[in-house]
Order: sequence, then structure tokens, then C-alpha cells
Amino acid sequence: MSETATRLQVQLKRPAFELEVDVGWDQRVAVVFGPSGSGKSTLFEAILGLHPAASVRVRIGGLWLDRAERGLHLPVEQRQLGWVPQDPTLFPHLTVEGNLRFGAARARGGGAGSLARAVDVLEIGDLLGRRVDELSGGERQRVAIARALASGPRALLMDEPLAALDLPLRGRVLPYLLRVRDELDLPILYITHDPGEAIVVGEVVVVLDAGRVVASGPPREVLWSRAVLPLSELLGIDNVLDARAVEGAGGESTVETAGGLRLVIPTPLPRGEAVRIGLRAQDVLIAIDAPGRISARNVFPARVARWELHDGDALVHLEVGREGRPPERLVAKITPAAAEKLGLGPGCPVYVVIKAQAIRRLA
Amino acid sequence: MNWGELLSITALTLRVGAVATAALLVPSLALGYLLARHEFRAKSVVQAVIALPMVIPPVAVGLGLLILLGRRGPLGGLWSGLGVEVVFTWWAAAVAAAVVGFPLLVRACEQSFAEVDVRFEQVSRSLGHGPFGTFLRVTLPLARRGVMYGTLLAFTRALGEFGATTLVAGILPGRTETLALGIYSRVQLGDDMGALALCGASFLIALAAMLVGEGWLRRGVAPPGSPMSRR
Repeated sequence: MSETATRLQVQLKRPAFELEVDVGWDQRVAVVFGPSGSGKSTLFEAILGLHPAASVRVRIGGLWLDRAERGLHLPVEQRQLGWVPQDPTLFPHLTVEGNLRFGAARARGGGAGSLARAVDVLEIGDLLGRRVDELSGGERQRVAIARALASGPRALLMDEPLAALDLPLRGRVLPYLLRVRDELDLPILYITHDPGEAIVVGEVVVVLDAGRVVASGPPREVLWSRAVLPLSELLGIDNVLDARAVEGAGGESTVETAGGLRLVIPTPLPRGEAVRIGLRAQDVLIAIDAPGRISARNVFPARVARWELHDGDALVHLEVGREGRPPERLVAKITPAAAEKLGLGPGCPVYVVIKAQAIRRLA
Repeated sequence: MNWGELLSITALTLRVGAVATAALLVPSLALGYLLARHEFRAKSVVQAVIALPMVIPPVAVGLGLLILLGRRGPLGGLWSGLGVEVVFTWWAAAVAAAVVGFPLLVRACEQSFAEVDVRFEQVSRSLGHGPFGTFLRVTLPLARRGVMYGTLLAFTRALGEFGATTLVAGILPGRTETLALGIYSRVQLGDDMGALALCGASFLIALAAMLVGEGWLRRGVAPPGSPMSRR
């Protein structure tokens, strides 16, 4: 197997928990996705070299940091990983500027350039003189990310940077994260348990559950896969789609996905606005015949890709879309009896029925 | 008892206390950090041994020191070989003060370091600062309130040291006579006014030290709202 740019091999045994990860990818921005307690933060700690007892091989962006068989085990301070842990860890005895300078102090080339760049990208120039306890939650996260960037890291490790923030605040901090992602050419590892965030941020998603990798690959495919469905279901969203508003009238608007799927959603949107929408599998209905007059605003033809039993439910994987475009995929959850009665099978043409009210705007 | 005598006794006492505390600081910080951050098998034994000078009679500590530091003790050959005379000098008073103050400072350091979230240290290391730099620039500043208070306690304890000091340093006026020793010897000689004057000086020094310490604790050397002050 040829080595991928990033490769993580971690084995860590604890009395009540075992982390066993072996995964690699070539993309620059990776999301580590999984429910809480799945070992995401512990994986980061192992990558940082904070678990001496763990058996670890780590290669990030083409550089080995930990390679037991060659005797390579860089100490934490030599790994040059910009780490933004989940709990707020700005140094309370330093001002914002003090924190940033602390980060820049050991950067290659003195850190003046990386510090100025970090202040610029995260727009924290006005906060420099503040004390840490005078910052809002969103400001804290921006400063923490800037401090990591100021150290001139070879990669950025962000552990649920939005988790501590309430919803409106997330919307204000997310653009900064995307800016960091897009303007700095850094490998990024990003932990989240939010599927919407995973899709927006990641080029590749690694799904952890109970200390093991259950799936990895392109975000959409992975988050749609059977292995992950039980997890994202736990979080309440099974179908996540990116779309753009094509028309809006009254209290609703019509959005269209890249695959050409048009959906009416109960949110007024200006034309052209990009949105991410979510939909639970149990809110997707399947009909064999075209329904007649019906209150549901979204009725469209689709094709069954396959269906399977999962925890007593039938999960029906559907493909929707126009000719010549990649199909949009949806998953519906119905009872096995209903699936039998409808005679569903691969390739079966069906109608999909979705109430506008069942569609949530995620971002 | 005249002003000159009072001042010289006070100055000697402060010098003994300062030298003892200064000598304690680095070992106490190191040992306190070790105990706060590392688990090892003999840890409770080490903690018990460190606490001993605090709980056994100071006179017994003094006897132990006399044996260790005296010319006739097991290390006597070493001292005479080096040409050092510790016993019955103010250095001996400083050693005695340091030994009894040691447990106080180590314990204060251990507790203060244990209260510093290890995450801060990990983040510091991830930002490229080595273990020692992290200790100096992160752990110590975050623990400084407790460490300073512990230092002050050890210093005041050193100022009042009597039992161990009498044995190793004797009560030699002008050479080893600290405030505590001076009070005792004046009472023995029936010089009550002199003893009271020295008591007054002790009282003023202790009061000043405690006011400083309370100020540190109350206003918080750590900024309010920080994880340190919230604990």
C-alpha cells in the first residue's frame, strides 16, 4: 500500500476504553466525526504525542511525526501541530496579545509573520489588549485558533471548535473557520459530532465509534452510508443536502440541489442563497403510484437503490435526480412490512413524498 | 536592651528567614511539582517523610541536625575536611528554619500545581515550549498565588523557629540570637522589658507578613474569572 499524505495508526488501551485506529487519506481537510465518547479527542491527544503508552504511527501532510519502527517519536513541542482543544485553554494569566505571542514565540522564523497573519484572518486586532476573561465565547474560540496559527504549525487540529457556542454564535464563527481552511494551505483535522458541520468543512470524513473507524471517505457518501446511519440518526439527521434557493414566495422557498432535486422548504430565502438542509429518514414517504391531490409539497419520482433491515426498520436507499447529473441520494425509514407490501427492490421506480415542514435548514 | 540590639536581632532573624526560604524554594517547587503531576509507588511514603519535620517535636529535629552537622557526627569528617563550621553559627539557624519550613512549602506547591489544569501545560507544549519553559511560563504563573502564600508561611515559620534552632545554633548573642531565642533568653534572665520589646518586633513582622498574604489571597494574584480563581 502506498503511503497516503496523512496516515494515523493508533492503538491505545485503557481500563474501560480501547482506541484502535488505522486510516489514511490524501485530502487536505479531514473531519473526524462521531458521537461523544467515541475517542475523537483521545485520537488527537495520541497524534500530539500526549499518550506515551499508546502505540502510534502518525504521518501528517507527508511528514512522519511518530514512527515507532524507525525510533522516531517527536516530543510534543517539536511536532508543530496547531492544536485547538475543546475546552477553553487560553492562558488566563496573559492578555489576548500575550497568548498570541506565547504561541508565536517558538514559531519558525520568529513568528511575527504567522502572528500578523493569524490576527488578520481571524479579525481579532481589536481584542489584543483584552484579558481572556473579558472575551465572549466566540471571541475565545477565534483567539484560540489564532494562537494555534501563530505558532506556524505544519497542520491544524481543531477539536469541536463550535461545540461550546450556541447556535447563532456558531453561524458567526463558522465563516472564520472556513476562511482559515481556504486561505491557509494547511492540513486540517477537525473534530465534530455535527453531520452538517462535517459536510461543510471536510473533504474527507473519518467516522469513529467506540474507538474504531467505522467508515471513511468523501463526506456525503460516508455520512449516507449504512455504517454511519445509526450514528447520525442518534443526532437526528439522516439526509443532509446542499442546495441553492431558486425561488421564494410567501413563507416558503424552492431550493435546488446540485443533482437537480427541487424541494420546497418552509423558510423564505432570497434567490441564489446557498443552504444546507436536513431531513430525517422517517419523514421520507414512499409511494408506488403518483399520489393525487396531497398536502405534501414535495412529490417527485425516484428509484430504489436497495433496502436493508436495520434495528427492526427497513432503510430504503433512494436515488433521485435528472438525467445527466449525479444522482441525489436519500434514505427513507419505513417498516419492513411496508417495504414487503410495496414490493420494493433494486431499480424499482417509486414516488417520494416529503412534507415541507419536515425539512430543516441546517445552515 | 537598646535600639541597636533590637535592630540587629531583628535583622538577623529576617536574614535567617530569608536565607532559609530562598534555599527551600527551588527544591520545594521541584518536589511539589513531582508530587502533583506524577504517580509512583512510593509516593505516600515520600509525602509522609516530607511531612515529618512538621509533626515531630522541633527539639528532636534539632538533635537530628546536630548529629548530622556536628563535627562528631557521621558527616563530621566531611565538614572538617571542607573547613566549614555550621553548628552554632547563624547558618545552623537557617538550616533548622529551612527544615521545619520545608513541609509547609512543599505541600503548598503540590496543592497549587495540582490545581493547574494539565491541559494548559499540554497546550503550551503543543505550541513549541518544552517542559521547563512550560513550567516557568505557564504552570508557575498559574500556581503563583498558592506558591507565594506557601512561601510566606514558610518564611514566617522560619522567623519563629525555636526548638530546633536552640540545639544546633545555640543562643549566642550577636551571632545566633534570633527574636524567638532572644525572647526566651531574656525571660530566663528576668529582662521582661527586653523580652516584650522583642515580642513587639516579632508581632509587627508577623502582622505585616500576614497582611501581605491576605492581600494576595483576597485580591487574587490570578485575574478574577480565570479558571484559577473559580476553583
